[in-house]
Amino acid sequence: MRPLALLAAFSSLLSLSAAQKTPKYQTLLELSSSGKGAKGIIQLDDNNFNEVTGPPRNYSTVVLFTALDPRFGCQLCREFQGEFDLVGTSWNKQHPKQDGLFFGVLDFSVGKQTFQRLSMSTAPIMMLFPATTTGVAGDQFPIKYDFNPNSLNAAESVAHWITDNSKYTVIVARPFNYVKLFTTIAGVVGTATLSKLAYPYLAPALYSRNLWAALSLVAVLLFTSGHMFNHIRKVPYVAHGRNGGLSYIAGGFSNQFGLETQIVALVYAVLAFSSIALCLKMPRLETASKQKIAVMAWNLVVLVMFSFLMSVFKMKNNSYPFFLPPLIA
Amino acid sequence: MAPAQASFFKDPASTQNIRGILRVVILLTIAAASISSRLFSVIRFESIIHEFDPWFNFRATKYLVKHGFFEFWNWFDDRTWYPLGRVTGGTLYPGLMVTSGAIWHALRMISLPVDIRNICVLLAPGFSGLTAFATYLFTKEMKDSSAGLLAAAFMGIAPGYISRSVAGSYDNEAIAIFLLMFTFYLWIKAAKLGSAMWGGLCALFYFYMVSAWGGYVFITNLIPLHVFVLILMGRYSGRIYVAYSSWYALGTLASMQVPFVGFLPVRTSEHMAPLGIFGLIQLVAFVDYLRGHVSSKQFNTLLRAIVVVITIVSFSGLVLLTVTNVIAPWSGRFYSLWDTAYAKIHIPIIASVSEHQPTAWPSFFFDLNFLIWLFPAGVYLCFRQLRDEHVFVIVYSVMASYFSGVMVRLMLTLTPIVCVSAAMTVSSILDAYLELDTPEEPDEAEIKKAKKSKDASVTATGGFLSSKAPYIGIYSITSKVSVIASFSVYLVLFVLHCTWVTSNAYSSPSVVLASRMPDGSQHIIDDFREAYYWLRKNTAEDAKVMSWWDYGYQIGGMADRTTLVDNNTWNNTHIATVGKAMASGEAVSYEILRKHEVDYVLIIFGGLLGYSGDDINKFLWMVRIAEGVWPNEVQERKFFTARGEYKIDADATDTMKNSLMYKMSYYNYQSLFPPGQATDRVRGAKLPAEGPVLNTLDEAFTTENWIVRIYKVKDLDTFGRDHFSARAFESGKKKARKTGLGNRATGKKGRRNVRV
Repeated sequence: MRPLALLAAFSSLLSLSAAQKTPKYQTLLELSSSGKGAKGIIQLDDNNFNEVTGPPRNYSTVVLFTALDPRFGCQLCREFQGEFDLVGTSWNKQHPKQDGLFFGVLDFSVGKQTFQRLSMSTAPIMMLFPATTTGVAGDQFPIKYDFNPNSLNAAESVAHWITDNSKYTVIVARPFNYVKLFTTIAGVVGTATLSKLAYPYLAPALYSRNLWAALSLVAVLLFTSGHMFNHIRKVPYVAHGRNGGLSYIAGGFSNQFGLETQIVALVYAVLAFSSIALCLKMPRLETASKQKIAVMAWNLVVLVMFSFLMSVFKMKNNSYPFFLPPLIA
Repeated sequence: MAPAQASFFKDPASTQNIRGILRVVILLTIAAASISSRLFSVIRFESIIHEFDPWFNFRATKYLVKHGFFEFWNWFDDRTWYPLGRVTGGTLYPGLMVTSGAIWHALRMISLPVDIRNICVLLAPGFSGLTAFATYLFTKEMKDSSAGLLAAAFMGIAPGYISRSVAGSYDNEAIAIFLLMFTFYLWIKAAKLGSAMWGGLCALFYFYMVSAWGGYVFITNLIPLHVFVLILMGRYSGRIYVAYSSWYALGTLASMQVPFVGFLPVRTSEHMAPLGIFGLIQLVAFVDYLRGHVSSKQFNTLLRAIVVVITIVSFSGLVLLTVTNVIAPWSGRFYSLWDTAYAKIHIPIIASVSEHQPTAWPSFFFDLNFLIWLFPAGVYLCFRQLRDEHVFVIVYSVMASYFSGVMVRLMLTLTPIVCVSAAMTVSSILDAYLELDTPEEPDEAEIKKAKKSKDASVTATGGFLSSKAPYIGIYSITSKVSVIASFSVYLVLFVLHCTWVTSNAYSSPSVVLASRMPDGSQHIIDDFREAYYWLRKNTAEDAKVMSWWDYGYQIGGMADRTTLVDNNTWNNTHIATVGKAMASGEAVSYEILRKHEVDYVLIIFGGLLGYSGDDINKFLWMVRIAEGVWPNEVQERKFFTARGEYKIDADATDTMKNSLMYKMSYYNYQSLFPPGQATDRVRGAKLPAEGPVLNTLDEAFTTENWIVRIYKVKDLDTFGRDHFSARAFESGKKKARKTGLGNRATGKKGRRNVRV
């Protein structure tokens, strides 16, 4: 019994290595090394798609269905392509004979029929076609990859996914970014030189109280009007309202739009500067009549702006009972 | 008569005493107002501890009062984090408990035996009065005492601070904000006077702050930042040196005495800024000293080179130590303040807490009302004089604005400085417009003269905009009256706003819920305490209760039962284990429950009442946290339908329907409704006609409004069957014959064993 099992194992090993030399495998190997795209990635189209992914396969294939043509405006496709190429080339570099794992890209412009046949209406889609075990009947269902917009290093998560779902361990080797290094060094040196040269001219500005006051106020106004919320939650700038118009103010107390925060920041700024004008500027005006008019004007600005702010706030929070004339929401 | 009276009011010397008395009376009134506005919840409900964390603090305080300080210090709590336990004495900030313990002892000493619970409930309002006083002192250093009084009044009733200090909100922040403001006041005093005594006092209160709240790191970094900015501005002085060195040396040594802090001040990145500035200020002092004695130009150049080299070397040393892990890198909680996407990806447990979310602008307005737009004006006013202490206000404002924008809970640190700045603005306006005298209009010659002397005033204020011309005053009574009237209206509106917000938003104990009946009367929903009382009275003393971590402290405090996880989220894996038990199917969960010797499982379910803070709504976080530890066993996407929706009705995924949490939530729920009519009022969804079936748990208790549901974990089956076949057998559904045979076989075996 035992020698038999050993023999069986040996023969299957033999057949595997033999299978790797099947004409189909050789074709794929050629395709993957001669493609016009990144090295180690097969450029698929309607003609060769079935051949590559159809049974029987003694290899696994990872296929990315994408639509790179600018006409489709697929931002995610373009962002993801580089990451996918990186996985493919990394594998190719570490395994020049591919060792049973191929990477392929099928673009919609050359693979319309395949997209239709697989009834795919979105892109990108990535699938792993595992090796068939026994002929046509053993064709397994391809495994689909979940695109997660949160994952920062897409290549690493793709590699992780392949490793989880197949017998291959894929390691991504990110090429060292020399360009970035050099631009950083050049940038630092350049800035240093520039600031050394420009120091005599910049120094007055650097020690200018008005500049720093302006910077601090801008920072304070930005942060207190919810800019960090926009940044973290990536809220839309405006949204389309019910009647086709634009709506600037988001409904709900813990929600906001980009433009809305800018309006609020502007209102805060106007109110703050009116109060500064009232306490600093006004007592320094020399002519009595001019002063009277200016004080009244600034006072009115504060009233109207604050009233506006209250009405906007009431819009956000319906149960808020207070308001300030003249504007009543 | 009138002129005499006017001169009486204007002459500061003659009214000094009256002013002093008035100030005291006003401050006392402010304290009274700030305390009484925090008592809504006590009057409306009862004297009760609120929310979650306060329950732990309350329990710890009771332990301290009962067992004494040394026992408390060495307290190992085996009733939480079962089976791990928690070294409680070494992992908490003891300041709060020690404070209330001290008050309790002091009151007993003067024969006033007050219940410790009442002290705990009323501690936060009491300290809010002190906070108002500290704000007064701080603002007085910035402008004058009238601004100080305004700031104290703002601070007393600003909702941003009330949110954390209503009666019953017995949390670290209750005393920490007072300590924060008082430490800053002492620091300003020390920096102004260059006095080691004030520096030492500052260090003492810094120590108190460290022992009371983890937010002390804000002070730890803000004071060095202030000093650093002053040095950059070329404002180094002996006063700063004395104040900073005495504060840093004493304060750091003192803070290391708190066991929970220990050696952190020399080993973590959060504490490296004060250390670095301490080194820098020594260098600067040395250079400053030498400069006074040596005049050679070459020597100065050499000196400068030495300073630069030493700075670079020590900085790279710091980096090296961080890289080699001698100094711990920024902890996740602090790191997520800078890299805002960090927590969401790497530490879901931090991202899951609602008070760690970013702040939308309505929250700022809600918590601060018109102070929020007076705030930038106040910062601007600080630039006008720009004394050393004004730099502090500016630095504080910018930093606190950023932090409060990133995290809702840090609104608490922003509120004091907003009150101070806004008070400075309002007080400047009142100063200008409340002046009784009407100035003479200057004639041409005077204007010319003033313009000539303008150069002098321009240099005095650093060429600052809007204060270049000389100060004259307000001419017309109409202008004065109109401005004063409108600002009085805003102030009254502010008071109304604060009262409304406090009463409506921040005075709910969240342990007891209130709702309005159709006739307007109040209806109290007391399900939480009902459930905890049931646990206390009907379960064994050492029963282990599993629930999501939010309720750990309450179960410990109110039901006095052992919990698996609680709000002190120190062990992520343990929390993930609970999450996995909730998110997995019964077979997997039962194994986890048995392994942790869980007797009861407690869940919160709001479907009947429409209580949206329930466990089904928190469920995705449980899944995410569990997925972080077992990515192959728990997967978030399996809880979403094919269209990416989170559903609980008939469309829910099988994983969702089979999860323990789903089953426990909706078990028997259908029986409340006519067939096929069961709806969940929180999610507004109709439930499938057939309710879930529980095999391994028994329903033990469900409260009046179904908010809390408690399940008992079944013991192993008496006949050695698994629970699934046992339940199937009992419900009369005869399974395949094989199962029956198997049972008979085990029965026989048992009998034979008995005979032997």
